[in-house]
Amino acid sequence: MNPEVLISMLAELDRIRELTVDLVERSAPRLLPAPPDGDGGAERTTFDLLLGARRAVLGNPAAARTLHDLLVAEGHRYAETPAGAQLRDALIASDAVENLRRVWETVSLNVLDGPSPPNAAPNAWAELLADAVIGHGLDDSVLARLRPEGFA
Amino acid sequence: MTLTDPRAALADESNFISYLVGLAGVARVVHALAADGDCPADPPRDDDDFVHVLLGLASLGAAIEGLTETTLAQSNSPIEALLPTSTNARWLR
Repeated sequence: MNPEVLISMLAELDRIRELTVDLVERSAPRLLPAPPDGDGGAERTTFDLLLGARRAVLGNPAAARTLHDLLVAEGHRYAETPAGAQLRDALIASDAVENLRRVWETVSLNVLDGPSPPNAAPNAWAELLADAVIGHGLDDSVLARLRPEGFA
Repeated sequence: MTLTDPRAALADESNFISYLVGLAGVARVVHALAADGDCPADPPRDDDDFVHVLLGLASLGAAIEGLTETTLAQSNSPIEALLPTSTNARWLR
């Protein structure tokens, strides 16, 4: 198998991955909420940005986790410098950071947190998708009463 | 186009400088976020992974800003003469 064939195979696998993400989103409609009413404007732009961020994370969990870990490691290094330590203390005290944290947790559904095998999708990602897809299939009235609000 | 047949013209469409500008912009947003709240949090908060992700972005932005400062320091021209009209053009210098 020559390199050209291998690269073609990688391209095809990526196309299949993208199509699979589409299917998962259709199977779990709560992952793909309806856009806001209206023809556009700032609200629609924000919605598209946040949905794009969610799709980037859910569709590429291993890469997203790797990038996340690299940024966290760089953040730890920066925090050891005087400028970084000062910025860290200011970020911790900032209410805007708390608001941004809520936005990020809502968008990412926390799939990048927790344990993760090296160079693989984090466990929370697999658990969320299983919950979203399987939970949707079992969404009867009895189970719905047992499911806390906010869970798929 | 294949990897063995690159086209030089595609280099003109490279977004690499825009990536750097975008990262520097995000880093400035992190500093703006830090400026929102001068009083200690109640209850006190911890510096978790989310805070360190923001710190990592700020660190990258500082490194990128450092690249331009190096360029300016090496130049013999007055700084005013280097100030361009657009942000992208500034980084390209």
